[in-house]
Amino acid sequence: MSEIKKIINGCLAGDRRDQELLYRRHASKLYAVCLQYSGNDEEARDILQEGFIKIFENLNHYKHEGSFEGWMRRITVNTALEKFRNRHNLYRVDDIDTLPETEADPDNRDYAGLEANDLLGIIRELPPKYRMVFNLYAIEGYTHKEISQMMKISEGTSKSNLARARTILQRRVGSYTGLKKQVVNE
Amino acid sequence: MNERDANIDIVFRNGLRDFEALPPPGVWDDIKPLIKRKQRSYILISTAALIAIVFSLSLLAYRWSREVSTGLNFNDMAQAGEDVSPVIAPSAQKILPVAVNETIMSRASSLFTGTDTQVINESAVSEMDDAPIAFSSGRTFNIGNDSENSLNDAENSLHEPLMKIFNPVQKNSFEILTADQQYTPDITATKSPERWSIAAMASPTYYSKFGIGSDDISKQMSSSEQSLISYTGGVALSYKINKRFTVQTGIYYSSIGQQIDGIQSFGGFQPFSNSKGGHNFEVLTTNGTIFTDNSDVFLQANSGSRVITAYNNDVFDPQKANLQPLNNTLYQDFNYLELPVVLKYKIIDKAVAFNLIGGVSYNFLVNNDVYTMVDGGKYQVGTTKGLNSFTLSSSLGMGMEYSFTKNLSLNLEPTFRYYLNPFSGTEGSTIHPYSFGLFSGISYKF
Repeated sequence: MSEIKKIINGCLAGDRRDQELLYRRHASKLYAVCLQYSGNDEEARDILQEGFIKIFENLNHYKHEGSFEGWMRRITVNTALEKFRNRHNLYRVDDIDTLPETEADPDNRDYAGLEANDLLGIIRELPPKYRMVFNLYAIEGYTHKEISQMMKISEGTSKSNLARARTILQRRVGSYTGLKKQVVNE
Repeated sequence: MNERDANIDIVFRNGLRDFEALPPPGVWDDIKPLIKRKQRSYILISTAALIAIVFSLSLLAYRWSREVSTGLNFNDMAQAGEDVSPVIAPSAQKILPVAVNETIMSRASSLFTGTDTQVINESAVSEMDDAPIAFSSGRTFNIGNDSENSLNDAENSLHEPLMKIFNPVQKNSFEILTADQQYTPDITATKSPERWSIAAMASPTYYSKFGIGSDDISKQMSSSEQSLISYTGGVALSYKINKRFTVQTGIYYSSIGQQIDGIQSFGGFQPFSNSKGGHNFEVLTTNGTIFTDNSDVFLQANSGSRVITAYNNDVFDPQKANLQPLNNTLYQDFNYLELPVVLKYKIIDKAVAFNLIGGVSYNFLVNNDVYTMVDGGKYQVGTTKGLNSFTLSSSLGMGMEYSFTKNLSLNLEPTFRYYLNPFSGTEGSTIHPYSFGLFSGISYKF
């Protein structure tokens, strides 16, 4: 029996050590996902907590087919999506036209030097609707049709949100890389 | 440019692929108790199921062993003779006093051993020389000069010990009964059975429910709800239809409840409340929606969107307003008056009797409140809307009855109950609660 299977069985039997082991092993990976889907650390913490509760509650449904990490990631993403749906009326989507213009060329493909922390910082600055669509489409690989069902929006809205998210990200990445290059050259 | 493979997408996908971040401390400490609580209810149900299985198996084993031994007895009896059914002569109304009885018994037994047939004509019964003797089979013999022959006929036909019983009404009359009848007199012939009984019963009850939806909000609600151990108590009146069947009704008062975690309540909201006559907060639960009727209470969900209010985080902060935190849990409490109609079938009729119990119960909602606990006392919050004022439940159980005196007995009835119509009157609601209860009490037969 694989180690993860033993841990899962221990969790199902109520073994507190196995439950903590499962958490400790996967929390940092899943917290990164939570940060990616949230606008602030408090929201990310909530998603992580609720996501893990759901993981423990639904462990008996895991069939040991496919990646366990992928299964946990899907639950975490669904938790983030659920929180987004519950709150989306409170979010105000920034008007794209009011975003500050950057000097960087949006078509500049030279994104070298950007680290994960930089990318995370940029993605978290996106308005929630754009961030959610971009994450689901570009990172998780869902189609616009699936996203429209998950977010209860039209496919057209999903496409338009993605396009706007990309534009913002390109501008910000460009700005960021330009700034970095400037710092390095100096 | 390929839509799926836009350059910016690849940058983020690859850049964040193996990214990890240390979660803030304390998250595990918050998760831990929530998992524990979930498992406790699982353990409780598992334990109840295990007890029910062990109990049922024990009962089946006991029945089986009893049937085997009964079968053996029937074989023995069949060898002894077939005409053994006890019949009491219509004239038999009173058994002789013990002294006389014993005398007659000894004489009757000597009669059949062939040692002393003439003793029956001796002093104690000499005056009854020509009196008829009634056999338990209903046939009558005279014990005059031909008494020996007659009795020998009787002996041959019955192959069982006989005894004479004096009938004071019909003077000079004796009846001969089988020894079996003498040792186990049928009380029902002399006294009507106690058909009625009244019992005081009470039970701790564990409630849960079927039919919780699979959508996110239903899961969110059910994951934060936990049934409380409830209590049912009342009086039951039973009528014994025959040896096996008993019909039972009564009146019970039951308290059903659940706790809803993750709803923070605060006191002191009255000065900030602008609602005129209406309620400030609604809380979604699987049993219905809680409406606050205490304008001094402020509610906030720790997570999710179960609390619906105009006073959300954007417009009101309870910390900034210095509201008094009360509790993190709400309690829903429903009280019912129950009128059960139950049929009991006695499967084992011994000193410890076992019954199969099945029936329905008509339940009327008499009280409904929602509260939180502050310093061990209840703090009223509101009520649950949309509950059905009448529910119908079915029950199935196993009853054990131990008679410790002729009229008093101890009852123990593990019972499963399923609510046939939804708990809540909300359209589309499919929540059907069920419960396990262990009713116990004392019954008095009359």
